[in-house]
Amino acid sequence: MLANKGVNPPSFRKTGTTIVGLIFQDGVILGADTRATEGPIVCDKNCEKIHYMAPNIYCCGAGTAADTEAVTDMVSSQLQLHRYHTGRESRVVTALTLLKRHLFNYQGYVSAALVLGGVDVTGPHLHTIYPHGSTDTLPFATMGSGSLAAMAVFESKYKEGLTRNEGIELVTEAICSGIFNDLGSGSNVDVCVITKGGKEYLRNHLQPNPRTYTSSKGYSFPKKTEVLLTKIIPLKEKVEIIEGGDAMEE
Amino acid sequence: MLSLLPKDFEFFITMGDSQYSFSLTTFSPSGKLVQIEHALTAVGSGQTSLGIKAANGVVIATEKKLPSILVDETSVQKIQCLTPNIGVVYSGMGPDFRVLVRKSRKQAEQYHRLYKEPIPVTQLVRETAAVMQEFTQSGGVRPFGVSLLIAGYDDNGPQLYQVDPSGSYFSWKASAMGKNVSNAKTFLEKRYTDDMELDDAVHTAILTLKEGFEGQISGKNIEIGIIGTDKKFRVLTPSEVDDYLAEVE
Repeated sequence: MLANKGVNPPSFRKTGTTIVGLIFQDGVILGADTRATEGPIVCDKNCEKIHYMAPNIYCCGAGTAADTEAVTDMVSSQLQLHRYHTGRESRVVTALTLLKRHLFNYQGYVSAALVLGGVDVTGPHLHTIYPHGSTDTLPFATMGSGSLAAMAVFESKYKEGLTRNEGIELVTEAICSGIFNDLGSGSNVDVCVITKGGKEYLRNHLQPNPRTYTSSKGYSFPKKTEVLLTKIIPLKEKVEIIEGGDAMEE
Repeated sequence: MLSLLPKDFEFFITMGDSQYSFSLTTFSPSGKLVQIEHALTAVGSGQTSLGIKAANGVVIATEKKLPSILVDETSVQKIQCLTPNIGVVYSGMGPDFRVLVRKSRKQAEQYHRLYKEPIPVTQLVRETAAVMQEFTQSGGVRPFGVSLLIAGYDDNGPQLYQVDPSGSYFSWKASAMGKNVSNAKTFLEKRYTDDMELDDAVHTAILTLKEGFEGQISGKNIEIGIIGTDKKFRVLTPSEVDDYLAEVE
């Protein structure tokens, strides 16, 4: 009804997004930008898109922010219970299967496109998961609106057996490509390196969009409204205090 | 074979005849719930377990007597972890314990999902106790044949709780359950001090277990779980237990 009068309901908070992952010689590196959008408006300039799944598994999420957060949270919980029950470290394929089954059940209505990466007893793994529940297993992957920009970088520069620094540099380059060439992605670069020994979550590893436009003098706005008269009227006391009287009954 | 009257067909349930659809825990004329009393007897004939709350942590321990020397003792773990900072041990029926552990872990995880806070020890105890109480007031089920000792360390410091088959729970400074309970409790009453350190508590726990132990005590036939100021519950390895045993000698 309000739409007739030109007032539209806010569109979903989406994570326009560029998310990437690649396998390097010691494990997996995941990367993501940090812009969250509500239609044409940037609603969060520094959100976290790399979600914790297990101590050795992380997941980047593109699509509707609420969906990616809820689904990764839920599967993370299920993995924790599974770990208690089996007494073993979680496997990436377990997280993969739990996620894809859930997404397929909802026939694509849970709008979450994920890049899942981790290292377990069987080695390093990297997968992409689409909202309808299909998955791919890849040595390097990109998702989100900036995926084409990032994939262009990967396709030209990826090779097997990258070292840790080479891998981080390549991931950063791919995310930056998304940040600068895709309107849905922007702000900073988050990187997460997962190896057999452990994980390193490099939050805001690169900040290529610092805020440089604040004036050091501060801003002063000219007063446009002229003050004609100042009059202060105290409000009347509405409460009459009667001393004494009977105490309230318990 | 019970003969079914025509009226019974209306209430036919897959569980059995309608004559058995009442709860087994119905009050006796003396005001007791007989099934719960029997459950406590089952607990009382289980292997001894005990817990001691120290000033800077909690220790729980149990006998691990296996039915035969052929049983692989590494496959049996009586002390379990419910959350990273809460552990539990039992006296009574092992399979009932496993079911409760599974339910408690799920509840702890659900609490964490909802409040993004690790579940406080008292909350988990309350929820576990509520599950155990449910099974004393539902149709077609029996009470759990275990008493639990839940040890945890959260913002309120170290805590030790006992939960009974009836669903009642108590906070203890030190407690024991199972076969040797009266001797163990007397021993603990004598030895317990409020300012005990965690290591002293482990030694006291070992001595208490030794009291009623038949045979040679070693790292292979007892289990000890500790949680200290690091708030991480862990079960000691058999070699660590042997080290503590050597210190006690």
